Amino acid sequence: MRPRLSSVLRHRVGAVSVTFLVLVAVLAVIGPWLAPYDPLQQNQDALLQGPSPDHLLGTDNLGRDELSRLLAGSRLSLLAALEAGVVGLVLGTVPGLLSVYLGRVFEWATLRVMDAFVTLPFLVFAVAMTALLGNGLTQAMLAVGILVSPAFYRVTRAAAFPVAGSQYVEAARLTGAPAWFVLARHVWPKVLPAVAVTTAATLGSSLVIVSSLTFLGIGIRPPEPTWGGMLATSLEYLFQRPTAPLAPALLVILTVGACNGLADTLRDVSGVRAPSLRKEKARAAA
Amino acid sequence: MSDLVEVRDLAVSLGRGRARREILQGVDLTVRPGEIVGLIGETGSGKTTLARSLLGLNRIDRGTVSVTGTEVGSLRGEALRAFRRAGSVQYIFQDPLQSLDPDLPLGRSVGEALEVRGASGIANRVAGALERVGLDSALAARLPSEVSGGQRQRAAIARAMITEPRLLLCDEPVSALDASSRTAVLELLLRLRDDEGVGLLFISHDLGSVAGVTDRIAVLHHGRIVEAGATAQVIGEPSHPYTRLLVGSAPTLDDAGLDRTVRAALRAQLA
Repeated sequence: MRPRLSSVLRHRVGAVSVTFLVLVAVLAVIGPWLAPYDPLQQNQDALLQGPSPDHLLGTDNLGRDELSRLLAGSRLSLLAALEAGVVGLVLGTVPGLLSVYLGRVFEWATLRVMDAFVTLPFLVFAVAMTALLGNGLTQAMLAVGILVSPAFYRVTRAAAFPVAGSQYVEAARLTGAPAWFVLARHVWPKVLPAVAVTTAATLGSSLVIVSSLTFLGIGIRPPEPTWGGMLATSLEYLFQRPTAPLAPALLVILTVGACNGLADTLRDVSGVRAPSLRKEKARAAA
Repeated sequence: MSDLVEVRDLAVSLGRGRARREILQGVDLTVRPGEIVGLIGETGSGKTTLARSLLGLNRIDRGTVSVTGTEVGSLRGEALRAFRRAGSVQYIFQDPLQSLDPDLPLGRSVGEALEVRGASGIANRVAGALERVGLDSALAARLPSEVSGGQRQRAAIARAMITEPRLLLCDEPVSALDASSRTAVLELLLRLRDDEGVGLLFISHDLGSVAGVTDRIAVLHHGRIVEAGATAQVIGEPSHPYTRLLVGSAPTLDDAGLDRTVRAALRAQLA
């Protein structure tokens, strides 16, 4: 069954998740205009200040306004997670669809490539990619996107396999329709619910990876603000400002929770299951 | 007039490696324009494999398969797609619930072949095709699950007829239907033959369901045509033990039927 927004919103978890994600997305878009200060502007007279009417979330070790940095960081963090999701979606879904249609050699080759991706550890691969292509968030997220693509590949292939062998697909092929027509008309709509669930789940896990990488300083150049980078800075001054890590940490946790909540709801309303990356890795290791 | 189907010495194998086995061996078959030929045999005898070979869905090992004047066995890639797009041969599947996309309205499925050709006025032609098979054109907006089994199979026939084919391959088209729908669909196929001169290859495991509609019958057993001829001759004077067993097993053809010992003797001959 194809998931509809109305059926997602009827679920309490789905409604809360969608509302939160829309709110975060809106903040990411209009955040720079809402920000009370320039997120890069330093103020030596207001270092490590707590929340106050002038700085609602306080300031960091360089006197920069935490709220302004959080709003500016939302855009970078979300765009990075989105990039990883889109790269994974394209690299996984397209060969997943084609593998059921182009024959055994293509299927065998893509399966082996995906198995190889599953065995690679995210952080090490991302570090290697940024070392190779340059230390940027785009490069790091390209690496993450490559490594999440097996989830999309397997989900797409599993959903497309029974459809590709169905009689209505054979009937369509007997009209002389080209492969793209048959895939777009008959196969893709059946695969879409499973891909939607995987996309929501992957966006959440990508955000965790983005935050982990930027926490470690990979893929981002200071002083650009990101949620992970803010978390790392605030932890260095934990004794001076114990509440400073709360805002970026909560945003990461709640956004990831909302992505997972949306994935669960999509799964419930469409009757498909999201793949487990842990199971994928265990399967590849076996 | 040339034959619509001319199969000579056809051999087809399916499967890979050790699982590969020969499904059809030395099959000869012809279908002429406006003729209904019944292809009879039990499950696994190779009936569907033969029909699929006529559409280039199976690679052939040996022999020739000529359909509406085209040597189908040698077609590959774009040439095969062009042959199918021409629409001179159409296939009607056994179960319309499986052969019609469950998420597409009937009209979209019926008009699909025209869409692939880039034809214009598809909606009107779909409505016309549905009416030609005795369906209300308003059913075009319904999903397959929202109509009866008989209506689904009529829609599948409309899909096949929309390209104005010269040959219909009907793979057990009535076996998934109830008795009244079965009669209606058989009458519809006969009418299409009479009105439009379409040739039909009518595949069935049930001799009773084809005896009333076919001009000729070919009996397929273990991948070989064991008997072929005019329907009345094959049913009235079956020469092969397998045909005699089929005729004897069809109560509508032989009210008395064969008694158990005769059937056992025939089965022993076939073993």
